[in-house]
Amino acid sequence: MADEKQDQSQEESIDQPTAEQAPSSDAGRRDFIATGAMAAGLVGGYGMFGYISLRFLFPSTEGETALQFVMTTDRLKVGESAPFTAPDGSTMVIARNGEGETAEDFIALSSVCPHLGCQVHWVAKDEEFFCPCHNGAFNAKGEPTKGPPKYANQALTKFELEVVDGKLFVRVPLKSVREDERGMASRDAGQQRDNSRETRMA
Amino acid sequence: MSRLKQWWAERVPVDGEQLKALTNEPVPNHLKSWWFCLGGTPAYLFVVQIITGILLAFYYQAAPGAAYESVEYITNQVAFGWYIRSIHKWAATLMIAAVILHQIRVYFTGAYRRPREVNWVIGMGLLLVTLMIGFTGYCLVFEQLSFWGAQVGANIAEATPVIGGPIKHLILGGESYNERTLSRFYVMHAMILPGTLILLLVLHIALIRLHGVTEFQFGNEDPEKPQTFNFFPDHVLSELSLGLVLMVVLSALATLWPADMGLKADPLTTPDVIKPEWFFYVSFRWLKWFPLTGAVLSSGLIVFSMIVWPWIDSFLRRVTKIEEISVYIGIVATCLLIGLTVLEAVVAH
Repeated sequence: MADEKQDQSQEESIDQPTAEQAPSSDAGRRDFIATGAMAAGLVGGYGMFGYISLRFLFPSTEGETALQFVMTTDRLKVGESAPFTAPDGSTMVIARNGEGETAEDFIALSSVCPHLGCQVHWVAKDEEFFCPCHNGAFNAKGEPTKGPPKYANQALTKFELEVVDGKLFVRVPLKSVREDERGMASRDAGQQRDNSRETRMA
Repeated sequence: MSRLKQWWAERVPVDGEQLKALTNEPVPNHLKSWWFCLGGTPAYLFVVQIITGILLAFYYQAAPGAAYESVEYITNQVAFGWYIRSIHKWAATLMIAAVILHQIRVYFTGAYRRPREVNWVIGMGLLLVTLMIGFTGYCLVFEQLSFWGAQVGANIAEATPVIGGPIKHLILGGESYNERTLSRFYVMHAMILPGTLILLLVLHIALIRLHGVTEFQFGNEDPEKPQTFNFFPDHVLSELSLGLVLMVVLSALATLWPADMGLKADPLTTPDVIKPEWFFYVSFRWLKWFPLTGAVLSSGLIVFSMIVWPWIDSFLRRVTKIEEISVYIGIVATCLLIGLTVLEAVVAH
């Protein structure tokens, strides 16, 4: 009981500071608030600047895509294929694998290797798409058969297709780095080369 | 004259003697051997790179439609353009080779051990930054190798778990190589990475000065002779002589094998035989052998092990009780490094 009284009197003495203690406690509080406000201002200000700088580095204008007309569906019989070049220059092979008139009866294989983004090309004697960067290979259906894509089971990307009233459309990007080039000679040469490449699908 | 001296001394209150005392320190005798000048070599070559890089920047244009043509202009039209560009290219090659050799020397002499572990980590940072400067450098020319190298490099970054996507986006300025990409490589090559390299280099040299150069005891030394010699002017003169030799070697290489122009980048056709610069042959071969995520994670693990090697080494020595265990591991690693590089150099695919 006596102990309790003593504790109570100690608490009171803490709660009621003497006249000498008051100014230093106020000063401490002021320092704390000033330091806190300064820190919050710095963190807020520079944090916002950091966020804006980081956001600045990620451009918002992403590549647009659009549906591009390819051909009427009757132009391609089952088992046949045709090369196609999108407006941005990306190349693909479009093949028919069904009798129906839906998008599922067609396939559009990208020529970009899913491993690290190099361009594959058709090697007729091996009947495969070959990627010269890291020796990846794919069969005519785009399934991986050799190299790193085979280990990781990475198939050639398929472009989205749509069939409307017997017309075949493919969704493709509209702009690429090549649009920015002043010298168009290499692009024209590339297009000629790609258009002349015949690919027979299995 | 004395009034001029006094005027200067008032404004810059450091005299020659004080400067000499500040910069001078005893250097162990083994630094008289050229093999131990390999640390100063890349630093010297880096200065060459800054000077030639600034000169090249007067003409270089970082845009897909202009980059190749501007490099071609430097090479074929600008007075001594071929020479400046070739020096830049050869100094990069020698700088990377010297950094690797310096690291091998530090490794096999165990100079990374306590208390110099942190400087080894900084040294690893310097190696990685140097390799990245080399990579971003050859991406700027907009040759076939430049384009496909950037493409492959960004996709490798993308394979890093969790942060890979944003990193690729940051490198390319979009989901794929686009008209904004080259300027990003230029900023990295000419500002961010060299700035980082300078910071790391200052820390590296500061720690060397604070710790002092590691002292080695060689059997053939006369114990009666002094164990050290002066940094200034003796060692400085050695480094200057080395600089002179390097300039002659660089000029000879630039004249005999000048930097040429490869085929211009064609985003539609990957050449049938394509390889990165020689210093990436090992990782190139590694990527052919393993699936992408496995290759990236294992490469990351190897680099991480190299960074924390001083502590791994200390742990291995404690556990195995073999004092030279790092030497045996180092021999195997060096043989692998050379073997994979040679293998990649001799085969087409």
